[in-house]
Amino acid sequence: MTLLLSLAIAMLFGAGATLLMKSDLIRIVVGMVLISNAANLFIMASGLSRGFAPLYPLPEGALVSDPLVQAMTLTAIVIGFSITALLLAIAYRAYLDLDSVELDELEEAEEREESEQEKEWRPF
Amino acid sequence: MSLVFLIGLSWFFAVILGVLDGRRRWVGWLSVAGLTAAFAGVIWLSVLVLRDGTLQMVGGDWAPGVGIVLRADALGVIFASLSTAVILAALIYEVLDGVSSRMFPSLMLFLATGLNGLFLTGDAFNFYVFFEIAMIASYALVAYGEGARQIRAAFIFATVNLLGSVLFLIGVAALYHLTGTLEMAEIAVRTQGVATVPVLLTAVVIFVAFGVKLGLFPFHFWLPVVYTGTRPAVAAVLSGALANIGSYGLLRFGGEILVREREIGATALLVLGTASIIYGALQAISRRRSSEVIAYSSIGQVGYILIAIGIGGPVGFAAAVVYAVINALNKTLLFLCCGLRGWLVGAAFVIAAFSVAGVPPAGGFLGKAALFEAGVSLGSPAGAIAVVVLVFIGGALSFVYMFQIYQRDFWAGEKEGKASPLALRSVALVLAAMILFIGLWPEFLLGLSRQAASVLSGGG
Repeated sequence: MTLLLSLAIAMLFGAGATLLMKSDLIRIVVGMVLISNAANLFIMASGLSRGFAPLYPLPEGALVSDPLVQAMTLTAIVIGFSITALLLAIAYRAYLDLDSVELDELEEAEEREESEQEKEWRPF
Repeated sequence: MSLVFLIGLSWFFAVILGVLDGRRRWVGWLSVAGLTAAFAGVIWLSVLVLRDGTLQMVGGDWAPGVGIVLRADALGVIFASLSTAVILAALIYEVLDGVSSRMFPSLMLFLATGLNGLFLTGDAFNFYVFFEIAMIASYALVAYGEGARQIRAAFIFATVNLLGSVLFLIGVAALYHLTGTLEMAEIAVRTQGVATVPVLLTAVVIFVAFGVKLGLFPFHFWLPVVYTGTRPAVAAVLSGALANIGSYGLLRFGGEILVREREIGATALLVLGTASIIYGALQAISRRRSSEVIAYSSIGQVGYILIAIGIGGPVGFAAAVVYAVINALNKTLLFLCCGLRGWLVGAAFVIAAFSVAGVPPAGGFLGKAALFEAGVSLGSPAGAIAVVVLVFIGGALSFVYMFQIYQRDFWAGEKEGKASPLALRSVALVLAAMILFIGLWPEFLLGLSRQAASVLSGGG
């Protein structure tokens, strides 16, 4: 079970990290989603006990699963969700400004702006 | 009770301001009033804590060990007062200048809420939650101004720092798995009984997470783009308030929770700190735009904090606190000066420049002196000489780049044009006066930092 979970976490994190290297803003956002889900899975995997759901009534002497990691994962999911929304909003703003979701083109636009500023600069 | 109230106060104002149009003047001043109230609360709390010792409470009247612990100790309140003061200065600056986005005042208060919560919590997961509140507010703040540059800066900043946050979250989960608790004080006790290797791995993950926030040398790549891309007031908040998360986190986790692991990694901290100082200073010298120079200078300056933490012990931690406080004030003042014109701005800038270079009577001298003391406390003469030489070289280099900016912007008259309103310039002057005050009356900050270092168990 531990091996399976760690493989799943590793694959999610690896896939997310690969997507982060792309220059497409949407792919970067998806990569971030995958990585934060890898973290969520990691929190679940860090639970201290496994067994029944921690709800009363419980069978006599039964082991319960650790409720704290589930609470933490829930919090992390909510935070990850809101951050995804924010990232998408920023990507959308970039798209509105430049009609493109490529990071390279954003950079080019910035370089153009910068070289205009440099023209005004004169050595003293 | 007072702790919850304090964090709730700025939160309450942030929510109210969220539905109001921040571009209106009265809304801006309302946000200043709210943040001033929060600042007064933080100062009051600091007085209580510094006089009576650590305050602690458990949320919702749960038994200790069950509920979430809020804890105000000397280290936490120093960073909370510092960050709130910096945010207040930047907020007043921007309100005087004219806010151009409706959400700006609300976001600044959310940032203050997140930061204060983070400095005043005693629970590792709660730390993460407040950390994210502060970070999300700052992602949106970087986009303030909403030009193409700001949007790009916001995207890069959000992605890189999100990666840092996820790493920190993984670190917290790993600590929970290893120790079975999330309470910082309890983790510190229980890690003693756990095998070193897993805790050390966790410590490395947490160190990388805070290194990204601080913009330390190998994790700095996002910093110049973001600091030069955003507006001066936001850059001031990022470098003066948000970067405190990094220094506070390293002090708290390295000095109190993962003590043994910090000692093992001390050499790595010293090497990375040295690399940061040299790299930041050399890059800063080779840049032309003043905001870019200051951005690279921040990479160099945090290297000193890292070195002080690497040295450790009461003297080292105290030096780290002193340096973190002074560096935050310096960077806030420098970034605010970047957007200003007119006489007296030059004077404020010179004070900040002297402070960065460590020339008395500006406050920066105190930071450098504390670091000298920490270096001497190392015991081995070779180490002491290395630290002293490094501080001297770093100081000399920063003197060069600070005065390159001064020469370009204030002597060569590049920044000629209409002078900024006097009210705006007076914000910068008040900050400059604070830096001078720290330099002229060093006992104040030194006493505070000693008290802060004494709460860290590694400082005993």
